[in-house]
This record gives sequence, C-alpha cells and structure tokens, in this order.
Amino acid sequence: MIELRNVTKEFKVGANDKVVALKNINLRVKKGEIVLLKGPSGSGKSTILSLIAALNKPTSGEVIVDGKRVSKLADNFTSLFRRENIGFIFQRYNLIPTLSARENVIVPLIPSNPDSDWLEDRLKELFQNFSLESKMDVIVKNLSGGEQQRVAIARALINNPSIIIADEPTANLDKKLSLEFIEILKKLKNGHNSIIIASHDPLFFDLDFIDRQIDIHNGEII
Amino acid sequence: MLLTPEIITILALDFIFLFFGIIAFFISIKIVKFWNLNSTSNLQYKLEKQSFLVATIIKYIFIVKLPLFLFFIFTADKLSDVITGAMCGAGVVNSVSFGSAMFFYKILNLYIFGFWLVLHHFDLKNENQPYTKYKFWLYIVGFIFLLIEIYLEIDFFTSLDVSKLVSCCGTLFSAASTSSFSFIFTINKLYFVYLFYAVFTLLILSYILKNSWMILGLNIVYVFISIISLIIFFGTYIYQLPTHHCPFCMLQKDYDYIGYVLYITLYIGTFYGVSGAIMSILEKNKEKFYYNVSIVFNIIYALIVSAYPITYYIKNGVWL
Amino acid sequence: MKNRLNKFLFDFSVLSIFRRGSKNIFIFFVFTLLIFLLSSILFISNSIKSELDITINSLPDITVQRLQAGRAINMPLSRVNRLLAIDGVKAVIPRVWGYYYFANAGVNFSVVGIDQFEDQYRDLYTKLCDKFNFDRLKIDSGMLIGSGIDKILKNNFYQGYFNFVKPDGSLIKVKIDGIFNGDTKLESSDIIVMPSKKVREIFGMKPDEAVDFVIKIANPSEIPNIASKITQLYPDSRVITKEDLKISYQNLFDYKGGLFLALFVISAFTFFMIIYDKASGVSSDEKREIGILKAVGWTIDDILKEKFYEAFIISFVSFITALCLSIFYVYFLNAPLLKNIFIGYSSLKPEFDLPFCFDFQTFSIIFFLTVPIYIAATIIPSWRVASMDADEVMR
Repeated sequence: MIELRNVTKEFKVGANDKVVALKNINLRVKKGEIVLLKGPSGSGKSTILSLIAALNKPTSGEVIVDGKRVSKLADNFTSLFRRENIGFIFQRYNLIPTLSARENVIVPLIPSNPDSDWLEDRLKELFQNFSLESKMDVIVKNLSGGEQQRVAIARALINNPSIIIADEPTANLDKKLSLEFIEILKKLKNGHNSIIIASHDPLFFDLDFIDRQIDIHNGEII
Repeated sequence: MLLTPEIITILALDFIFLFFGIIAFFISIKIVKFWNLNSTSNLQYKLEKQSFLVATIIKYIFIVKLPLFLFFIFTADKLSDVITGAMCGAGVVNSVSFGSAMFFYKILNLYIFGFWLVLHHFDLKNENQPYTKYKFWLYIVGFIFLLIEIYLEIDFFTSLDVSKLVSCCGTLFSAASTSSFSFIFTINKLYFVYLFYAVFTLLILSYILKNSWMILGLNIVYVFISIISLIIFFGTYIYQLPTHHCPFCMLQKDYDYIGYVLYITLYIGTFYGVSGAIMSILEKNKEKFYYNVSIVFNIIYALIVSAYPITYYIKNGVWL
Repeated sequence: MKNRLNKFLFDFSVLSIFRRGSKNIFIFFVFTLLIFLLSSILFISNSIKSELDITINSLPDITVQRLQAGRAINMPLSRVNRLLAIDGVKAVIPRVWGYYYFANAGVNFSVVGIDQFEDQYRDLYTKLCDKFNFDRLKIDSGMLIGSGIDKILKNNFYQGYFNFVKPDGSLIKVKIDGIFNGDTKLESSDIIVMPSKKVREIFGMKPDEAVDFVIKIANPSEIPNIASKITQLYPDSRVITKEDLKISYQNLFDYKGGLFLALFVISAFTFFMIIYDKASGVSSDEKREIGILKAVGWTIDDILKEKFYEAFIISFVSFITALCLSIFYVYFLNAPLLKNIFIGYSSLKPEFDLPFCFDFQTFSIIFFLTVPIYIAATIIPSWRVASMDADEVMR
C-alpha cells in the first residue's frame, strides 16, 4: 500500500522565493489498484509521482510504501527501494539513446549482477510480449517513438515491480500508439501491482479498468 | 636525502593520500558534529552525499596502501644495497631511531582502514545507518595515525644517509644489542614456542565456542605472539641458522619470498578475526563468514611456520 | 561481503568509454605518452645500470692512485713491495693503461697493457692470455681488440693493423693479432689489449712507472681496514674500494633517474589536473544519463563503481600499451634520442646496445606512479556526478 500523509512540497526559486507544488496532500493507493492522477500540466501530478518513487523528498509530511517511510530514506537507500519496488515509465521515455534496446532494458538489473541464463529468459519473454524481438540489438535512437515507448515499458517491468508509475505516458504518442499503450496497460493489471498514471490525456478518462481518478489542481486534491 | 625512483614514487603517493585524507577529515568532522538521520535539512542531505566521498577516498587509500606496503618493504630491501652495513630491510628501517615506530603505524593503519570498510559495509546494510558516527570517529583517529605515518616516512627518507654505517639485522635482533627487541632474547625461546601453540589452541577453541570477545582478544594476542615467535624461533628454521633472527631477510628471494606468504596470511587471518568479532559484538549476530576466513588463514599460518622446524628435524634428526 | 566481478557493469563501463570516445581518446593518448616516457627512461637507466654492475663486479677490490696537486699522476713501481708487506694483501698489480683518442672516428679506446706471468686483475685478461698465444703477441708486437673496435677500424680502412700516434708525433704500427668478445657490449667496443711495454711506448711512459695499482685482498671484510693503512703509508695516494665505486655509480644513476622522475611527477600532477578538468565537465546528456540510472535503481555506490571501472580500464589499457611500446622502443630500436640523456659521454664512447633487463621492481614503480594517480584524479568528479539528484529525469 502507498500512503501520502499531509505531504507538502516546496521548490526554491532563486535565492529567497519558493513555489508551493503540493499542499497538504493525503492519498492512499491499495495493492492491485490502478489510479489516474488528472489535472493540467504544472498542477503537481509529477511531483506526487516523484515523491512516491523517492526521487524527491517532501518538505513536510510522510510518504509510506508497504510500511516503509520512504520519505526518510537516505539517497543510497532510495535507489535500492526503487530497484526493488518501482517500475518507472517516463514522459520522455528516458532511454539512453546510444545504447541498444537490449542494453537499455537490462540497465536496472546491472548493479545486482543477475544470473545470465535467467536474464536471457526474462529478456526474451519481455521482448516477445512487446513484439520487439527483431529490434533487440538496434540502437535506441534509431527506433520509432512507439518502439522506444515499448522499450521503456520493458525496462520498467524487468525487475517485476510491485508499483508501476507512468508520467504522461502518451504525451509524445499519436492516437494509434496511445491506444496501443492503453492495451498494454490493461494487460499489466493483475491484482498484485499498483499502477499510478499521471496524465491529462482525455483518452484515459473513461477506461473501465482504471479503479480511481483523482483531480489535482494547483497542488491540491479536489 | 636519497632520491631514488622508489622513494619518489612512495612520496608522490603519500602526497595524494594526504590531499584526499585532509578532504575526508574535514567532512568527517562535520558529519560527527551534525549528522542527524531524522533531519530533512539541506545540511543533512549534503552530509549524506559527502559521506560517500569519504567512503570512496578511504577505499582508494586502503586499496592502494595494501600493495604499496609490500612495495615499501621491497624498497627498504633494495636500499640495503646502497646503505653501508645493512644486509636487508631491517637494517635500513632501523638506521633511524623511529624506524620500528613507523613500521608499527604502517601496519596499524592497514588494520584501521580495512576495518573502516567493514564497518561501512555493515552501516549501509541497515536503513538506520547505525554505525555512521562510529565510522567517522574511527576515520578521524585513523587520519591522525595516517599523518603520523606519513610524517615518519618523510622523515625516514630524508634522514637516510648513504655514508652512515648502520647495523645489520644480525646485531639488531640479538640479546647483545640495545634495540627495543633485545630483551626478548634473554628469555628462553621455548617459552615463546609454547606460548604460540597455547594461544593458537585457545584461538581454535574460541572459534568452536563462538565467543566473540575471546576471538577478538586472542586474535590480537595471536598477531604479537606470532611475530615474536617468528623472530625468536621459527625464523631460525627458515634460515637454518640458530643465530639468524631477522623478520625481514625471509622476504628475500633466497628464502623463496616465504615472508610475504607468512605476513599476508597472518594479516588476513587476524584482520578477519578482529573485524568479525567486533561486528559480531555490535550486530549481536555471529559473523560466520568472517570467522571462517579467519580460521582458515590462521591455521594456514600456523601450519607453514610449524612445517619449517618439523622438516628440519626430519631431515637432520636434531633441533637447531 | 561478496564482491565477485560484475560482468554486466564491466560491459556497461566499456560501452560508456566508447560512447564518449572523443573525450576518452584524448586522455588515452596523453596518458599513454606519459607512461611511455616514464617507462622508457627507467628501462634505459636499468639497462645501463645492469651493464655497469657487471663491469664494476669485475673491478679489483682496491685501486690505488697517486695524487699530485689533486690530479692523478703515475705511480713508481718501487712502492709495490711495501704495499705487499701489509697484512691481508694477496697481490699488488701495477696497471699500465690509458685512453687513446682516435680522431677520425671521434672515439676513445681504452688501451690496456698486460704481462703474461703476472696476476691479471680482470677476468677478461686472464681469458685472453689463455686463448691467444701471448708470446706471438710479444714478438709480432701485435694487439688484441674488441669486436666493436674492429668494426670502427674497418670503417676507417685499417685492415689488420693500426697506427698509433706517439706523444712526440711519430707513428707506431701495431698489428691486430686477434679479436675478442667481452662480457658486456661496453667492454668489446672499448678495449684494446697489448703487452705493457708497447703501451708504455705509445703513451710515452717511463719503464719504472705504472698508472695505478690494483690490490687483491684475501678477506673482503678487511677492505676498509687495509684501505686506511694504505692511506697512512702513502698519504699522497687516493684509495678507491669496489664498494665506493658501486655506491657512487648507484647514486649517480638514481640521481639522474630521480631528477627525471621529479620532472615526471610534476607533469603527472599537471596531467592530474587535466583529467580532473575533463572528468568534471559533465555534459547535459551525461547528467540526464546519471539521472536515469539513479531513477531505475542505481545507488551512488553503483555509479561510483561504474566510474571506477571506466577509470581503471582506461588507465590500465594505457599502462599496458605504453609498456609494450617502450619495450619495443628501448630494446628493439635501442632507444634513439633518449639514450643520450644517460650516457653523458656518448659522443666520446663507441656505440653499444642496451641489454634486456626487466624486473618486477621497475614494473611496480611505473604502475604506482601512473594508474593510482589517474584513478585519484577521477575520485572527486565521479563522486560529484554520482551524487547528483535523481529527479533530473523528471524535468
């Protein structure tokens, strides 16, 4: 379970000014739930995601994931937490453009020095699921937008995360590819993992497999 | 002052250690003073990151220092060709009054820096980082020892004098000399042999009992008794000369570099013993891996030193 | 503490080096050049040292010269008997020898006189006496020359003989009776051997004089003792022991090597700054990449480890490349240009090859002076990169 308690986040702007990105947010996401965070850009959706993934620390309040106070973790442990629990799908894919698809997908596993045979099986499975078998050794920057998106999803799933986070996943895709993405998303729902999507794309608004929709405006839940 | 390539190499690396050591020292002081894991302040955030810089620096110093120590012995040995009277590194090191003190600090620092890394490893296993303050205190102490070591080393190299006549190891390690070692030669050497095996037996017993305090204490005693008994008794069988008591000559090629094997096994065995015991006490959990490494290497050491007098006896039918 | 090598991280590091090729190639070249210079100098000085060691070991225990006004002058043979009377002296051998400057080739030869039935002070001469028929040498008024000298003479159209110019300007023709190979290259391209009488004639020396005496001593530990007795007996003599020579040569070489090394250390630290600078300049692409790595679960330690792998791979490959290059340069090409730094008298002495000589000691000096310095230079920049905020990726 993911829990945000009275979370406030301020960003420093210049020497003395600050911008309040989130105001006193309280939020719970249960295991197996798919949640959509809606709201215009700059409303604070992405900030919530980065707090859950411990990429950032709240100014006040707490973020608790499966009983662990993520917001208190030191930098080193936040990385370990992400490695074990989180699959991240970014708006700009955030692949390493000069590496091949395959090399990009194994990046999250490199530090844990996985078993080669196990890794090969896992890669095969993922690339098959996303019909990318033929693109395995292609350098990522030579792939199309949709293919890059699917490589990014494969990377997010390689460590079997219990939480999948998607930040504006369809922002850079046309309608056809966006619908494809939604199909993939639907398949990911299996009751074990929580999925949190931040998007203002209307395509997401009337999907029946999304359990909850939360509106965010100016850093507050409406 | 001698300006050989070896000395320049050691001094250049000393300079690097000093440079990074000072950076790590100041960060450590800040951490000891201000570390508070519960705080979400910017300072704490910065310190968390800087603690990794310190860790990296210590890793670097330790990893370079290990082979550099062997290189230092090598160099001391080579200088014995140049310095009149010295037959091996012992004469060179003892050509200055603080030579043995320098050696002591060199070895002590290898234990401290090595143990720091063990502590760091355990610290990062737990999200509460329970040993952070300890480890930075330890570094502050270690850094002071490092300063002393480097100071002594520079002083040592600058006061080496080719024209000065030094004693060779034969006179240093004998009852007749006035060196700090001499008093032990007045005691019956068999006492040390008995003591060595007694400590060794107790050490094995302590592993069986898994008593951490015992393991800790006995490992420390084991280091000292091993070195003393090596000088007094076992060494003479390595050289096959009852009067040759030098802990350095056995590092030379004439004795198949056996000294390196002995000292390295002794270091690994006792290092793992001491740090495993301390961690067991701190963690309240038996560190089996450390103990196992320690047992294996301590036994190997005892077997090698014992093999020399035994083979001598089998071959010649008499003791030295 | 399991620390098995992480093959995936290693692969990733190799890829990283190539992905930022242009930056790394520059560093690789500069670093390789630096190590190459260092190792070449050390190899050359080691070779010459080992060559000299052989020479010095063949030297007599004690050499006695006579000084007048601080310069060495000839020794009267009358002193031999009083020196022999000192306890512990096994033999006193007067030496007749000198340097002969051969202007056409611009080289100096060492012309050495020997007498058959005397003790020889150098193994080489004993061997020569055994090998060549000494009587013939005497009757023919011939000489034995090293193989290197033979080459020089042939280049100057001397076949089978050589004309020495005496101090009064007259010529003396000496036949070549044999050619020998010395223990060292220096020896064979330097030494001419003939009967002492002939040498005295060439250099215009009186028959009751020798250049200096060499003294053989039964017990080597007595050397310092006997040396001081000789000085007491003849206060105008300079006594040189083998040990003295060895130490002063060793010092001379360590000094020359050390001087160079001091320069090297300065350039190494300059290089340190260059690497520091290069490694600090992080592009926005690289920043983003670090952000991605941290976002997908790499810890600061993982990134530091990756950076360490990169630094180690670059510096170690440079190290090995430079080592191979300088072995080739020094031992196969005979170190053109650089050799002259060490052989101060190279313009006067005949040419010689550098003998192959490679020990673990030199290897470790080169290693310690290069690889750890490189890695040290990357510590702070790597840490800066590794501790960047992970939320970079969200921007």
